[in-house]
Amino acid sequence: MHLRKSWALALLLASAQPSLSSAQPSLPSAQQAPNIVLILADDLGFSDLASYGSEIHTPSISALAEQGVSFTNYHTGANCAPSRAMLLTGVDSHRTGVPNIPEMIPPEQATESHYSGTLGHNVVTVATLLQDAGYHTYMAGKWHLGQTPDQLPSVRGFERTVALADSGADNWEQKPYLPIYKKANWYADGEEYQLPEDFYSSGFLVDKTIEFIDSNQGDGQPFFAYVPFQAVHMPVQAPQEYIDRYMGVYDQGWTALRTERLTRAIDLGIVPADSAMVTMASTGDWDALTPKEKAYEAKRMAVYGAMVEAMDHHIGRLIEHLKAIGEYDNTIFIFSSDNGAEAMGQPVQNSWRNSRSLASQGYSVDYETLGLKGSFNAINPGFSSAAASPLAYYKFYLGEGGMRVPMIIAGAGIEVKNQLTNAFAFVTDITPTILALTGVEPAPARFGGRSVEPIIGRSLMPLVAGRAEAVYGDQDAIGHELMGHGALFMGEYKIVFNRDIWGDNQWRLFNIVADPGETMDLSAQHPAQLQLMLGRYQQYLAENNVLPMPAGYSFLTQVIYNALNNAFRDNILIGILMFFLLLPFVLVYRSKSQG
Amino acid sequence: MNKILKIVVALLALVFASIGFRWLVAPEGVAAEFGMTLMQGLGLSSQIGDLGAFFLSLAIFILLALTTGRRTWYYPPIILLGLTAIMRTMAWMFHDASLAVDMIAVEIIACVVLYLGSLRLADED
Repeated sequence: MHLRKSWALALLLASAQPSLSSAQPSLPSAQQAPNIVLILADDLGFSDLASYGSEIHTPSISALAEQGVSFTNYHTGANCAPSRAMLLTGVDSHRTGVPNIPEMIPPEQATESHYSGTLGHNVVTVATLLQDAGYHTYMAGKWHLGQTPDQLPSVRGFERTVALADSGADNWEQKPYLPIYKKANWYADGEEYQLPEDFYSSGFLVDKTIEFIDSNQGDGQPFFAYVPFQAVHMPVQAPQEYIDRYMGVYDQGWTALRTERLTRAIDLGIVPADSAMVTMASTGDWDALTPKEKAYEAKRMAVYGAMVEAMDHHIGRLIEHLKAIGEYDNTIFIFSSDNGAEAMGQPVQNSWRNSRSLASQGYSVDYETLGLKGSFNAINPGFSSAAASPLAYYKFYLGEGGMRVPMIIAGAGIEVKNQLTNAFAFVTDITPTILALTGVEPAPARFGGRSVEPIIGRSLMPLVAGRAEAVYGDQDAIGHELMGHGALFMGEYKIVFNRDIWGDNQWRLFNIVADPGETMDLSAQHPAQLQLMLGRYQQYLAENNVLPMPAGYSFLTQVIYNALNNAFRDNILIGILMFFLLLPFVLVYRSKSQG
Repeated sequence: MNKILKIVVALLALVFASIGFRWLVAPEGVAAEFGMTLMQGLGLSSQIGDLGAFFLSLAIFILLALTTGRRTWYYPPIILLGLTAIMRTMAWMFHDASLAVDMIAVEIIACVVLYLGSLRLADED
């Protein structure tokens, strides 16, 4: 295989690209093209891993962190599909066709082709490039980038797939988690798929990944395995034995947990020693809860911790399997999350109204069975804030809590071990990093007979090789827009505009290196910097054809509207057409009857 | 008895009209019900154009039969449905197609209902 022979040379060439850095990364020592395992957690908060300050037991991921570089200033999009589109292509979300999840795109925008909410054919996935270069490419997990036959991962570069097309689904059975879906839409190799009876998401996805890897084991070709877990997206569910380990751990509440995690993150060097925090308006008063309410909220979070640990356990199984078949020493792991912790859980999950609503979907919110099969669970917004500790905001917002997540690159050939880097990195950097690690070229300007978008991200090779402090300079601007929220990063600075419900509709300027918690607005102190960055943000909007949001837009209302529209639009239209077809016949019939 | 027959014939028209409009409005779902995947380009044009027109024509012929009371309007849908059942059987015999027993049965039953309608509900032409 040509890849195996030329890998070291290709790495040298890739790392020597002038756009990456003047520093030369060291070469991985393996003689073969490396396998790549890209693991993506769903809605995992910044401090949800033990190596980032969490009390949750994540030994497998900690072991990975010891074998490579952990990024403490890595940013992704603030919600699912745009992040995944950027992750797999290295292109800005607005150019991939996925500036938002389709469930939240208003009709005023949905008519534009680059606002379809599905991955466009004007972008090339890293899987396609690796497949063309001779890699086996596997995917097991959540896709959420399109559901029609021409949008599924099986036609976007993945040789073997088992993929969830929706924004989420139950972790214990094939069941939708929201009434906007008629069923949980799973596909295997492009065909509709029925989940097995003994399904638990994290275990099943790793089982399938192992099955795919084994199916071609020993044929001399390297593999790329993309494992986007359902964990820890709602419904938050976990096996009982894991839940038991976290009972009692969260009895002191979300404010105490947020503080504990900050302390640990400081001790680990994840955030500066003087990091401060803001309390989100969505965070309730723990002390005002009754003992029964506290016990219920603590169990909601215990299930969350259990779900993270269960995911870690199955990641460990995958690692052990790779060791057993002799592939571990030739495998590079990249671990991250698609966005920050989610705060869409109801403040009172077991209220009568919410219980009735979930019961209509066949879900229970009973304390005893919380997290088990048939139970619906999501953490309280107060605990979401703790999951993002010490950051402000969470998923769906462009505060650091929505965008800054853990990211680890580790494994074969990564010579820097057990290191933290505070260098800025963005989700669009993952694809060029994988290409650099594997020695595969990016797509040319025309690919597959059509023009394709160029990669905007940068390889992080200089960082993981320990030969550079940063891949972005102080004047490099990286913008992001989501549902009218805006953010732009330049050097140590970030400007951010968060809309309501929890945002304040104000542009603010923060130094996110010194103040990751976004507690000190520097707008008044550095007005010139603010104006400079606002100008660059306007440039970003224009260059990426970002559309304005309709007046009064609310993403929650839009989800409901789009769901109703999808469910009833066709039937209403057919009804109207039937009416106009039947009308003349009815009139003629009546006139004849009367005549 | 005639009233019931008239309702059944009218229901047939509504069902066929509904299927015809579904080919126009939401072809993916109805294509799957007929054992097809939705094609692209000319194939998609033929699927929506030919099949949509087929079912809407059936509905319109039946509605014309009911409203005018003329027997001749019953014949086109009987011929269309009867030929469909025959062609399906021939597709099975000569082209290894599935024997769509359920669909053939529905088509034959609809033919019988329409024939009864032509005998009992229509005036002499």
